[in-house]
Amino acid sequence: MHLLFCLVGVLFVLPLWWSVASSLRPIDEIFKFTSPFSIQALIPTRLDFSAYVNIFVDKGFGRAVSNSLLVAVTTVIGGLIINGLAGYAFAVFQFPGRRLLFFVTGLTFLVPFETISIPLYGVIKAFGWIDTYAALIVPGLANGVVIFLFRQFFAEIPPELAEAARLDGAGWLTILWKIYLPLSKPVIISGGLLLFLFQWEAFLWPLISTRSEELRVIQVALAGFQERYETLWNELFAASNVATLIPLLILLPLQRFYIQGVTASGFKG
Amino acid sequence: MGCRGKDMTGRSTWIAYLLLLPALICLAVFRLYPIAAAVFGSLVTESAIEPGSQIFVGIQNYLQLFADPIFWQSLWVTLKLNLVINPLQVFLALLLAVMANQRFRAISFYRLLFFIPLGVSLPIACILWHIMLDPNSGLLNSLLNLVGIPSQPFLISESQALWSIVAIATWKGVSFWMIFLWAGLQNVPREVLEAATIDGAGRFRRFLRITLPLIRRPLLFVLVTDTAVNFLLFVPMFLLTRGGPSYSTNVLMYEAYKSGFVYGDMGRSLALVVVLLLLVMVTVLIQFRLFSREAES
Repeated sequence: MHLLFCLVGVLFVLPLWWSVASSLRPIDEIFKFTSPFSIQALIPTRLDFSAYVNIFVDKGFGRAVSNSLLVAVTTVIGGLIINGLAGYAFAVFQFPGRRLLFFVTGLTFLVPFETISIPLYGVIKAFGWIDTYAALIVPGLANGVVIFLFRQFFAEIPPELAEAARLDGAGWLTILWKIYLPLSKPVIISGGLLLFLFQWEAFLWPLISTRSEELRVIQVALAGFQERYETLWNELFAASNVATLIPLLILLPLQRFYIQGVTASGFKG
Repeated sequence: MGCRGKDMTGRSTWIAYLLLLPALICLAVFRLYPIAAAVFGSLVTESAIEPGSQIFVGIQNYLQLFADPIFWQSLWVTLKLNLVINPLQVFLALLLAVMANQRFRAISFYRLLFFIPLGVSLPIACILWHIMLDPNSGLLNSLLNLVGIPSQPFLISESQALWSIVAIATWKGVSFWMIFLWAGLQNVPREVLEAATIDGAGRFRRFLRITLPLIRRPLLFVLVTDTAVNFLLFVPMFLLTRGGPSYSTNVLMYEAYKSGFVYGDMGRSLALVVVLLLLVMVTVLIQFRLFSREAES
């Protein structure tokens, strides 16, 4: 029984372990121990950090990291505001067409990004945004799942709190700011995580909508790395590890919120 | 007749519309409009006489598509891929979820290991496995050699490339789907299972008769969403095989990308996208039907 667990655990961890181990050794040693296989393939005897230094100093990988961070963080901030306001509207107000609009909003979640990326290109081109940060950020701001999360969360907050504030003469934005927001830590974290990961992992859309090196995001940069610097394995591994470590550092401590966020969308039914 | 502009409790409805406006505009422009544009774009083609302007050609793009043997080959590859990968991933996700749901001391450690592929993006998974599946010096072949299995070509073989992609995508993806099923399992009330144990039902029977029906909703959600994702799978074909070798991994989504961005034929590209979307919708409908039939029996 434990054997099965170990097997699965090893299966998941081995590639990443090998990637980390290989990134910390000089290039000529990476494949020296793989065939025939010896345990030294997984344990570097001499630690060599030059791969990590080179990718930032020589290859400009830092640019890709900062681009992705910029795009992701901006999307999180802008997205939380836009989707949060919408969720607030759906949860707290009654207005004609509320149900229909909410249904349509949820429907957009089912629209696969891959299929709309081609016509979306036309839209962005018409705006003149090809090869700009706007192209990367703006289409990712409004997110049906995050709106849904906010709406479900705000709907659970007792309306009496808002009513009492209204009687005191508070405006709706004040109510949002002073009452709903302080209670919203869980949904802000899950919504923020979803938005961040969506942008961090984005590949097809940035590939299509941006051309220049200055705007390259991390996944596209890695693909480019693979093509151009194919034989510099240790640097390729180093770059991949950096690109994986950053989301893992955010994801693992916030596991609980991430789970809450994705499963809420699953129970939408 | 109540006050216009305010609902029964006196809230100004125009504020609600204002709050919704940014999100709705973004969704309309960047999600809904492109769908309409895709359908429309598949019905036009670029004029040969005046480059840059479009002529309405009706279903011509589709007719040309259906007359192209590459389309049919691509359709076959896509169907082949999905007939295998969807049941496989749902089954493995369920297995993992059951494992993650066990209770013993080290379980949190194992669960952490199960979550690790979540941080790995698909492009990175592809890059890593590309190196590990190298026919000559790849890690996987060395391990296989250790137990006496000869080295395999994997991604450069016409017969193995597609299945190698299945393995890579599954390695990266099952942890994500496991989360939904695990949450579903957590919601199964222990009392029901305990009552069944007292009645003498064995483990497997308990799972089949009690647990499985109770997680129908998350199971259906995982099946449907995973299917949609897999029908549209593109990244491994782009990064690892470019649709080859010999078109053996040329799925419809990759063919659509090629048509649009390599050959510049947007009409054909969008026609492929529309066909793909219809295919997904039909498959999902069939899955819904099958599930509700099972529920009745």
